Amino acid sequence: MDALMQAFGLVFDPFVLAVIGLSAIFGMFVGAMPGLTATMATALLVPVTFFMPPVPALGAIVTATTMAIFAGDIPGAMLRMPGTPASAAYADESYAMTQKGQLNLCMGVNLVFSVGGGLIGVAVLIAFAPMLAEVAINFSSYEYFWLACLGLTCAVFMSNADPVKGFLSLFFGLLLATVGIDPAAGFPRFTFDDVNLMGGVNFIATMIGMFAVSELMRGAVTVDATTKVVAQAVGNLFRGIGGVFRRYWLNFLRGSFIGTAIGALPGAGADIAAWISYAVSKRFSKQPEKFGTGEVEGIVDATSANNSALGSAWIPALVFGIPGDSITAIVIGVLYMKGMNPGPTVFQENPQLIYSVFLIFILANLIMLPLGWVAIKSARQILRVPRNLLLPVILLFCLVGSFAMTNSLYGVVLMLCMGILGWIMEEHGIPIAPLILGLVLGELLEQTFVQSMIKADGDYLDFFSRPIAGVLGVVTLTIWLVMLARGFRRGPVAAPA
Amino acid sequence: MRMNDALLGAILLGFAGWVWWLTSFFPAFPGQDYGPNLFPRILAAGIGLCALVLLMRGLRNRAPLLTVEGWVVEPARLTSFLLIPGAALAYILVSEPLGFIPTAFLLLLGLSLWFRARPAVALPVSAGMTLLVHWFFAGLMRVPLPRGILDSVL
Repeated sequence: MDALMQAFGLVFDPFVLAVIGLSAIFGMFVGAMPGLTATMATALLVPVTFFMPPVPALGAIVTATTMAIFAGDIPGAMLRMPGTPASAAYADESYAMTQKGQLNLCMGVNLVFSVGGGLIGVAVLIAFAPMLAEVAINFSSYEYFWLACLGLTCAVFMSNADPVKGFLSLFFGLLLATVGIDPAAGFPRFTFDDVNLMGGVNFIATMIGMFAVSELMRGAVTVDATTKVVAQAVGNLFRGIGGVFRRYWLNFLRGSFIGTAIGALPGAGADIAAWISYAVSKRFSKQPEKFGTGEVEGIVDATSANNSALGSAWIPALVFGIPGDSITAIVIGVLYMKGMNPGPTVFQENPQLIYSVFLIFILANLIMLPLGWVAIKSARQILRVPRNLLLPVILLFCLVGSFAMTNSLYGVVLMLCMGILGWIMEEHGIPIAPLILGLVLGELLEQTFVQSMIKADGDYLDFFSRPIAGVLGVVTLTIWLVMLARGFRRGPVAAPA
Repeated sequence: MRMNDALLGAILLGFAGWVWWLTSFFPAFPGQDYGPNLFPRILAAGIGLCALVLLMRGLRNRAPLLTVEGWVVEPARLTSFLLIPGAALAYILVSEPLGFIPTAFLLLLGLSLWFRARPAVALPVSAGMTLLVHWFFAGLMRVPLPRGILDSVL
């Protein structure tokens, strides 16, 4: 109880509230701009929060991402361009509603059900994270090794990309994590006698390169494309929401719980949650033929799902230090920078911090209602911000942000290299998220692997000797086998004669 | 612009071999079976395996070695594309001697004019954003942004 009061004190501090307010506006803007993603918003926010205490730093990230995932729905409905990948699943459906003259209802549903889904995700986070932490406190290197394996495997398994390319990206990320002084023997690996590389590959500069610079390179090619006329929401956004809720409350609950479950899986986040819940909604609908023609049913499922996934993605991140998606991967990086290694011990040593995160999540979802209303009403102005000015400004943020992470040009050089690499990867259909998760988890994976090998003295069966480790190991190996079998089956079919 | 799977696989196979070769210089410690080269070698083997699958798949499919999208042959759009990494490179090269404020201003102005912003808008926006970013990072957050030629003024 004491910790909860402390958390209230930490969150309801004028500075923290101001940070939350500003991040909310930033998140709304980034989410509503097509081409700027929630992950990019987070990567650009980190340098800004670098010098803040943990609570406002985490508050900024939580608030900005919550807003961005909702705001991505706005251009989806108005321009048929999803603002973030998490809105891509139902952008066509939303746009069809707009063409039927139901923009107000569509936006109202998106806003209200985003808030609802978000709150359900947070409720699950609050209920389960401390419970899991109690279990996790007894974990040994075996359990952590398997958890990291499982998380990384899920990242490849859940992405829609070719598994071979997913694993390629993952191995590359893990390899990048080995650059620098080896944690066990103190030997510098892959540093080429460069002082900067001794400290390892800076994670945030890499993120900014991969998620922002490569996106800018893609955007630069189409910057002078003419912007379409923007539809405008006028009138009451909340009219008819009650009716939608009475009719589709089951969809709302189903979407939220699917989203929560997928978000909590390591490696899968809001965008996958939206795709899956939209598909589930269509599969179990009484009128699946109406999907795609501007029906609100699938939107209810998917818009609840992507916001609920956001909260539950923090469960594995806070409890095990294993990220649920790219955004929580950044969060873990931030926690390490603040000297608070995520894991079950945080729940015992710094419970006020955990409670603060919970409170900020609730707060962020609540202020989304009025702020989202403002964003929808001023969408025409937001979407008219010229991209030919925005692009250079974002590039400047990237440059300064990555400079600030290392206080030297090393960060900028790294950002540039990673930006080009990220662009090449995307061109070849190699997903970026596994690389990022690999980079974050590499050290943990190597340490627990080597520790476990030494403990087991080369006996691999020892990796399964503890009950939870055994279950996790079997699950991981099963997924590997499924992927292998799938790859073999797909191989000959994919090759045209 | 994308390479076919065979070429990509061949390059990655070479990369994996190079990583493995580098790990052979890592020291081994007597009495310690699992040294600093163990984990990187597993990863190099993993990359090599993936590369091999890509290589075989590519040889079977016989796609053109290099596929080029339409915008690459349009000089204006190709320049737009190259300007993003180019601007970052320019920042790396000149920000130390020139200082953050002039570099950032010229970079913003140059890019937005190239992307056909009106000068009457581009000028104040570039100046304003440069000063805002400088105030926030150098003033508020104490990031040592290079002062360059303005050293005596700031």
